[in-house]
Amino acid sequence: MNALVLIKQVPNTDSPFRINSAGTWVEEGNLTYGLNDYDRYALEELLRLKDAGTITELVALTVGPERASSALRTCLATGADRAVHIKDDALAAADPLSVARAIVAAVKDGGFSLILAGLQADDDNYMQIGPFVARLLGRPCATAVMRLELRDGATVRVERELENNRLQIVDLRLPAVITVQTGINEPRYASLKGIMAAKKKEIRTLTLSDLKLDAGAIAAASARFRTVRLAPPPKAKGAEMLSGPADQVAKELVRRIREKTGVI
Amino acid sequence: MACKILTLVEHESGAIRDTTFELLGLAHRLAGEAGWSASDIKALAIGQDLAGPASSVAARGAAEVICAEGEAVRDYTCDGHARVLESVIGAESPEIVLIGHTPNGWDCAPVVAAGLGVPIATECSNVAFENGRPLFTRKAFNGKFIQVVDLGDARPKVATVQRGASPAFGGGTPGTVRVVPAGVAAGELRAAFAGVKKGETGAVDLTQASVIVSGGRGVGAAEKFGVVRELAAALGGQIGASRPVTDMGWLPHEHQVGSSGVTVNPKLYIACGISGAIQHIVGMKGSGYIVAINKDPDAPIFGVADVGVVGDLFEIVPALTRAVKEAKGQT
Repeated sequence: MNALVLIKQVPNTDSPFRINSAGTWVEEGNLTYGLNDYDRYALEELLRLKDAGTITELVALTVGPERASSALRTCLATGADRAVHIKDDALAAADPLSVARAIVAAVKDGGFSLILAGLQADDDNYMQIGPFVARLLGRPCATAVMRLELRDGATVRVERELENNRLQIVDLRLPAVITVQTGINEPRYASLKGIMAAKKKEIRTLTLSDLKLDAGAIAAASARFRTVRLAPPPKAKGAEMLSGPADQVAKELVRRIREKTGVI
Repeated sequence: MACKILTLVEHESGAIRDTTFELLGLAHRLAGEAGWSASDIKALAIGQDLAGPASSVAARGAAEVICAEGEAVRDYTCDGHARVLESVIGAESPEIVLIGHTPNGWDCAPVVAAGLGVPIATECSNVAFENGRPLFTRKAFNGKFIQVVDLGDARPKVATVQRGASPAFGGGTPGTVRVVPAGVAAGELRAAFAGVKKGETGAVDLTQASVIVSGGRGVGAAEKFGVVRELAAALGGQIGASRPVTDMGWLPHEHQVGSSGVTVNPKLYIACGISGAIQHIVGMKGSGYIVAINKDPDAPIFGVADVGVVGDLFEIVPALTRAVKEAKGQT
């Protein structure tokens, strides 16, 4: 069977984040980017099925600007067979539903039995693209999956993470869309050989016109998902902050811990 | 048959969860802001044999509880729930749909939105009218920023709402319960419920600890956990961790504090190198006294801590260990 992994290139979490001048997103100029952490686990899960011979062809797909192709290269270097890059200026400020529609337009005839994605992207934390794609393709979906097992050619059994250290077991009929939680496996790193091999693998670029999608419709949909403002979180009650040499701060902490908790 | 706000009842085999009443609390506030009547607030419960439990929801906030019942939806599946939600939303045409941001809520809500062709605001910490428009406030960049989203002319406007985002509805309502068939047959579903099980558990039980010293991503590596261990030992406490630490295998899963780990309430909680993602905070905010040590002055953990220190944990934590030993007369 063939499988698809949906990936996103996101700013590294230790990037210097600053709000842009419009106050609607972060300033992108000074960020460094990498493959979304959750997606590394989704990719690894499919690479394991490929290693086991269950998956014949593994395709990685992203929607993003030019820079996002390096995240696809990472997927190719770790073992994906080929990649698809949906790239169009009209998608730069697109809403999540339009992004999902573009993905669906690209994959609807792909014959993918399994589509995996990370539970969420580390930048917007939306948790939407996987379920959106599932519904638009008319396929069953499960999110936050911690275990995945192909039962036969027709069913995949997954364990979804619930609260309080419990898991729900669900059988999904194939083809299915699954988003994975971090910790489901240990993602591999690309080998030198893999990095060399990736240079010869295909990254197919698709634009909106290739997908027969209309930029006007995307702009209209995006008006229904507008970030009015991005701001630092309000300081709740806020901690009382201590500063000074480490030994002095430590003594002060001990004094407070003793007074407030009695555990020392 | 129409309403302005539809909320989803969150229950487990008929036991109504608190989220349900928090969503109704939020719904009543929104109705007040919009000038809608309390009779415009309905709740949807999906499952089997729900009429009894649903009456408590009708008495505490919902003008009507629609119980969509059927064997095929007795247990939660995304496919089953999403089909019922889509059809009830179609019939009721609400302006706003509120669903708890719980493992089942975040699972089915985006599916429903895509089915209706509308956007969704996920993991909202607040929804409020501003200049006559409902705005959806949520965290982005793992809590580094808050994002305020306007869903334009979408109808309905769908949101998943964090637990604790609103106080539970406190009043009483003379609501009614209406049982309808779910209209979903097991044969047409492409997902089948196969059970719920406990995750792996080990010898460590953080729920009983009176002191917990936790390490996060900022510790940097499994072999660097020594400083956290030594402080925990000096205080006679247990070692906790945030999700990245157990994901990366630095510590076993049983040490994980947070929504996917354990919820703890020790007398003293010390967070070392933990930025304070909401998933971690919900698991430890009930602690008696919280100390946070982090190199990032803007880390959200300082928002819930009682006392904080900005700096290198590899300097401050060993200094604290020495000071604790000294105070206990162990040096």
